[in-house]
Amino acid sequence: MSATPASLPAHWKKFLFAGLAALAVVWFFAFQGATHGDHRGPLSVILGALFWVATLIGLLMLTMITRVFDAGWAPVIRRTWELALPALPIVLLLSVVPMALIPKFRHLLWEWTNAEHLLPSGHAVGHDPILQAKSWFLNESFFLARIAYYVVFFAVLVWALRRGSFAQDTDRTAGHTHRLHAISAAGIPLAAVSLTMLAFDCLMALSYHWFSTMYGVWFFALSIRLALAFTVIATYRLSNGGWLDGILNQAHRHVLGCLMLAFTVFWAYISFSQYFLIYTANIPEETYWYNIREFDPVTGARNQWWGVSMYLIFGFFLLPFLSLLFYRTKIVAGRLLAVASIIFVGGLVDLWFNAVPRQINAAGAPEGFVVSPFLTAYLAVDVLAVLGFGALVVAVLLRAAGRHETIPVHDPRILESINYHE
Amino acid sequence: MNERNERIHGVACTFRKPSDVYHAAEKVRDAGWKQWDVHTPFPIHGMDQAMGLPRSPVPRLTLLGGVTGFLTGCLLTWYTNSADYPIVVGGKPFWSVIYPFPVLYECTILFAAFGTFFGQFIFNRLPRHHHPLFDHPQFARVSDDTFMIVLEATDPNFHVDESRNFLQSLGGQEITIVRD
Repeated sequence: MSATPASLPAHWKKFLFAGLAALAVVWFFAFQGATHGDHRGPLSVILGALFWVATLIGLLMLTMITRVFDAGWAPVIRRTWELALPALPIVLLLSVVPMALIPKFRHLLWEWTNAEHLLPSGHAVGHDPILQAKSWFLNESFFLARIAYYVVFFAVLVWALRRGSFAQDTDRTAGHTHRLHAISAAGIPLAAVSLTMLAFDCLMALSYHWFSTMYGVWFFALSIRLALAFTVIATYRLSNGGWLDGILNQAHRHVLGCLMLAFTVFWAYISFSQYFLIYTANIPEETYWYNIREFDPVTGARNQWWGVSMYLIFGFFLLPFLSLLFYRTKIVAGRLLAVASIIFVGGLVDLWFNAVPRQINAAGAPEGFVVSPFLTAYLAVDVLAVLGFGALVVAVLLRAAGRHETIPVHDPRILESINYHE
Repeated sequence: MNERNERIHGVACTFRKPSDVYHAAEKVRDAGWKQWDVHTPFPIHGMDQAMGLPRSPVPRLTLLGGVTGFLTGCLLTWYTNSADYPIVVGGKPFWSVIYPFPVLYECTILFAAFGTFFGQFIFNRLPRHHHPLFDHPQFARVSDDTFMIVLEATDPNFHVDESRNFLQSLGGQEITIVRD
C-alpha cells in the first residue's frame, strides 16, 4: 500500500461496482430505445460519456499546459489529474467505440451512416448532395478509423505523461521534467487537432448538414471549464480528509478561481461568436441548427430549447461570471465549490443543447418533421449515465492513488507548489 | 510641538535583513499604525499580510467602469441605429442585444480599463512629482541593499520621540527624522 494519509483509495471498488451497475441500466435503455428505432436511448450513453471525455480532455490539456509553462502552483494538483487520466480511453471504450461499431446504434445516432434513412424531405440520405460533398470525411470506414485513433492517441499520450511523472518519484532526476516539457509541447497541438475531430465526430456529426469551424474551440473551452470545476470539487473533498489535507491553500484556490473566470469568459466568447456569425450571415444551411433550438418551425412559437438556451446564457455564463469577479468567491472554499458545481451542472446542459435537438420525421407534420423535445424521461437516464461514468472516473482516480504517490514528492517545483502564495 | 510636527514627514528607520523588516512590520501593524510604509529593494512575499494592508479598492472602479461602458455602448448603438437614423441592415431589428454585442463588450472593456487606470492614479494619489523621502540620504539604498520602515507624521500614533524609541525597540539600524 502507499503512504497515502487517508483511507480514500480503499473505496475504489465500491465506485467501480456502482458505476458499472449504473451503466448497465443506461445501456439497457439504449438497447430498448434502439430496438424501437429511438435514437434517444443510445444518445444517453454518448451524453454521459462525452461529459467525462470533455472533463478528462480538459485535465489532459491542463496537465500539458502547466508542464509547458512550468507553472509553479501546479505540481501538487497536477498529480491528482494524472491519477484520473487513464479513465479517458476507458470511458471512450465503454461508450463511443461500441456505439460506432454496432451498426444498429451507429445508424440511429449518426443518420448519415445509414444510406437508406429517409430525410424529412422524403429523399434518402444516400442521395443527399450535401452528404455526397462531405463524403471524403463523413464515410463509415474513415469514421471508424478516426474513433479508433482517438482511443489510441489519448491512451498513448496519457501513458507517456504519467510514466515520466511517476518515474520521477523513485529515481529523483530532474530530466523527467524536461522530457515531459517536450512531450507536452508536442502533445498540445496534436491533442488540439484530435479533440476538434472528436467533437466533430461525436457531436457535430449528429446533425451532419450543419457545420461550424468554431466547434472544436467550443469543445475545448467546455472541456477546460468542466476540468477546472472537477478540480475544484475534487480538491475540496481531498483537502478535507484526503491526500491534499493541509496542502491545498488559499492561493491554490485563487489560481483555480481565476482560471475558471477566464474560461467562463472564453466559453461565452466562443459560443456567442459562433451564434453571432451564423445569425449575421443568415444562411439556411447553418441557421436551421439554431432555429430548431429556439422555435417551432411552423408556428414560430418558442419551444423548450429556448428556455435551455436562456439557462446557458444566464446560468452557465452570467451567474458564474459575476460571482467569480469577486475576490472572496475565489478564495473562500465553500463559495468556490458552489460556483464549480454550477459550472459542472451547466456543462451537462450545454451538452444537451448541442447534442439532443434534431429533426425527427413525422408524417403528419407540415414541415415533415418535429424537433425532439428537451423534457423527456431520458433526462434521468442522461443523469444516470453522467453519474455512472463519473463513478468509473473516481474509481480509476482512487485506484491509482493507492498505487502511486499522491503528490509528486520529487518534482523540482514541489516546494514552490506547496508554498504557493498570491 | 505642533509647529514642528507640521514640518516633519515622519521617522525613517533602516533594516539589514528581509526577515528583520518583516517582523518589525508585523509589530508596527499590531501597534495600530495606519499611515506608514515599508520600502524594500525587491518584493517580500507575505509583506501585505505583515503590514495588514487591505485589498486594493481599484477593482471597484474597474467594475463601475465596466458597467458604465456596457450602458454607454447600449446608448450609443440604440441612439445611432434605432432612434436618430433607423436603417434596415440585413433584415435585422433596429436595435437588439445581439447585433451590437461586439460594440457593447468592447465599450465594457475600454471603460473598465479606464476605471482601472485612472482608479490606480486616484488611489496612488498620482501624479506626484516629489516626495520628502527622495531627499533622505539613505533612501537610494532601499533599491540596493537596505530595507526601510517609515512612520508618517499624519498618523494619530505619531510622536517624534516615542516613535523613534518604538523603531529602536524593533531593532532598527539608523533612525532619522524626515522633513517635508
